[in-house]
Amino acid sequence: MTATALTQQAAPAVARSGPRNSWAAVLALAAFEARRLLLRLPVLLAFALHVTWIVWRTLQPRDDYPVLQDADRATQGGPLLVGLAVLLCANRAVLRSTRRDTERHFAVLTLGVWRRTAAHALSVVPLALLTAVAVTAQFTWEALKSGAVGRGSVAELLTGPLAVLLFGAVGVLLARLVTSAVAAPLLVVVFLLLFVGGAFPSSGQETGAVWLDPVVTTAGAHPYPSDLLGRPAGWHALYLAGLALTAALLAVLVSGGRRSRAVQAAFAGALTLAVLGGVVQTGGVPARTVEARVRASVAPEKEQRCVRRGQVRYCAFSEWLPRVAGWARVADRVQALAGGPARGRDLLVRQRVDVRGGLLDDAALAPSTRPGQVTVGTSWGGNRVPEFSTAVAGVLVAGDEKAASVVCDGRMVTVMWLSLAWQSDPESALRGVRLDDSLTGSAIVVSRTEPLLMTAGQTKVVRALFDRPFYGVAARVKAHWAELTTPGVTTVRAAELLGVRASVGADRCAR
Amino acid sequence: MTTVSAAVTVSASGLTLRYGATRALDDVSLRLGRGVTGLLGPNGAGKTTLLRVLATSVPAASGAFTVLGHDPASAHGRQEVRRALGYLPQTPGFHPDFTPFEFVDYVAILKELTDRAARHREVRRVLDEVGLAEVRGKRIKKLSGGMRQRVALAAALVGDPGFLVLDEPTVGLDPEQRMRFRELIAQAGEGRTVLLSTHQTEDVAMLCHRVLVMAGGRVRFDGTPAELAARAAGRVWRSTARDPGAKAGWRTGTGGYRNVGDPPEGADLLEPTLEDGYLLTLDGDRGDRGDRGDRGDHGDRAEATA
Repeated sequence: MTATALTQQAAPAVARSGPRNSWAAVLALAAFEARRLLLRLPVLLAFALHVTWIVWRTLQPRDDYPVLQDADRATQGGPLLVGLAVLLCANRAVLRSTRRDTERHFAVLTLGVWRRTAAHALSVVPLALLTAVAVTAQFTWEALKSGAVGRGSVAELLTGPLAVLLFGAVGVLLARLVTSAVAAPLLVVVFLLLFVGGAFPSSGQETGAVWLDPVVTTAGAHPYPSDLLGRPAGWHALYLAGLALTAALLAVLVSGGRRSRAVQAAFAGALTLAVLGGVVQTGGVPARTVEARVRASVAPEKEQRCVRRGQVRYCAFSEWLPRVAGWARVADRVQALAGGPARGRDLLVRQRVDVRGGLLDDAALAPSTRPGQVTVGTSWGGNRVPEFSTAVAGVLVAGDEKAASVVCDGRMVTVMWLSLAWQSDPESALRGVRLDDSLTGSAIVVSRTEPLLMTAGQTKVVRALFDRPFYGVAARVKAHWAELTTPGVTTVRAAELLGVRASVGADRCAR
Repeated sequence: MTTVSAAVTVSASGLTLRYGATRALDDVSLRLGRGVTGLLGPNGAGKTTLLRVLATSVPAASGAFTVLGHDPASAHGRQEVRRALGYLPQTPGFHPDFTPFEFVDYVAILKELTDRAARHREVRRVLDEVGLAEVRGKRIKKLSGGMRQRVALAAALVGDPGFLVLDEPTVGLDPEQRMRFRELIAQAGEGRTVLLSTHQTEDVAMLCHRVLVMAGGRVRFDGTPAELAARAAGRVWRSTARDPGAKAGWRTGTGGYRNVGDPPEGADLLEPTLEDGYLLTLDGDRGDRGDRGDRGDHGDRAEATA
């Protein structure tokens, strides 16, 4: 037979496609996978729900004007849903070549498995960026609302997008550890069960293990100055970033990247970040913050700035100074209705908080015994407005908050009329300021300090006054101011002085 | 001896690989140049194993090879080999939710074609080349088997690889699709090295300038298709009944019998085909493994490929 011999000469490779670069290919693959991730139905649905939630929440009429150091935290819940969808879809994308039996083919292509894993991990980044856009829009919307005060934290705003990054990286890692397509949905179900079932340590805690959760949205009982929050948001962001990087780099390592020293070093760095952030954030409220909380609670005058408007001096934590105009509108209206010396009396409106027991402590503030001092809280808008006007009226009538809190006679009629009569819908304001939202019978009147009590008779008289011409009642208040504000004046007498016939019967406070 | 005036693009020597007690590759040596080389052999002959070794999918236990001057023994060399490689596996997988464009684009990225505009031009080029321009935006799950096979070929061709490894690409295709595929492979063989594994001797006859026959993990024949057919010269004859002395015989459409083997005296000899040569080569191999006879040809080949 004949045989064939070939001349020994190396032939050049055909190179139509130009120079090649593995890391550029990783980025190109990440962009490819990101486009596909963005078009997955669960991700689209999650984003649609997130945006719908943001719009619904922002447009909903709310009692309180935004406090931005709380509004930033409120952006963290929605991204969890996006994160779970990303976890599912990223996991599925990694498993695609195994499920569709293309791995045998792809294994001989230039871009190795670990680089493909890195691309999958990077493909989650655009989704985290989109989440960041949604979060920024939500926060900006809140910040632009009238009456918004305070300042947001970048670290708090980063938490949602970082959680999406973390969930995506976990999806990629899971696919590299378990090739079953059922594992990720199971993990999502377990997560939801734990979350809905309250098994996460986040419920009702401010410090400690709660910070190991991806997001910690625990809201304080009231808004507080940023300096008093003591939320380790920066460390938490570092912890989340470290965890996301650790999961992504672990996925790269287990898929063959362990020979790359750069990957090993990056993994060690990421793990260090996660551990550092995790340890520091769970260390509790820093001593400096605890001291600041005590100072702000016990001696707020040392922490506040004051401005004078007419007869009233307003002292508030600096973040709330933009609210002075709102407070002044209320205080001026109430004081304008008062008679006698109260009309020209100097008042001090002092913003007070008591955060010594932690952010979640909802104990009422002790009423001030200082004559002419009115306490204002950190919330504003809705029912907080008649609460404040009641506090101003109480001090004008009784002299100080402590004395106002124990008023149990006809003076209460004057207090409530001063507080509510000038408002556009006094009855609605009365309902709003009463704890049980009632318009009849006795009720507790909500206050930032000690609550006041209205008897059924006083309620009847006050409502009857609302039906009378405003200026007529106002003239009677001024004319009979001295008697109306005398301790021990009965409700019946107050009604008579104000020109109202009301059958009030035995009218006793039930303290 | 025939000298093919072509540069060596792929060269292998002493490739050996065992799966347990089975020698999938047994001291395989070969040299390939530009053009389409056919790889024939029965099931279990070692064809797919050889292709997988050359495609760097599995490493050989011993032996060495180079592709376009790159030695895959080192990580860098393996990467260079992969950069020069286009591989169509025996049963290619697809991502059914991808369009042909997306799938080939994806493979192009895995081949490190990173410039998006240039890559997309290249993807469109190969899809045009395999005749899928019209359906490039359709989901793969909606394409016929032949079209899917063309998607796989496009994926192998993208990036214009210098070495194309095709593992039974025409399996399962109807005659028309097979003809279309042959055109594509012939076109692909212009200017690059193509190693085509197949069970179809017609594919080899029509496409290949050279053919290797494997059996039992070894290369049993290495030459031109004409040389393989020539092995059966004088050993194919016609008779009115099946000749009991024939190695193989079958009734043809004309009613007579076509026999392959050692013809009797005065037999009505026929022009041999490549398939006749292939059958006799395999039969010789069986004899070789049985009584170790017919060693001459193998010795010849071993000498030629050393």
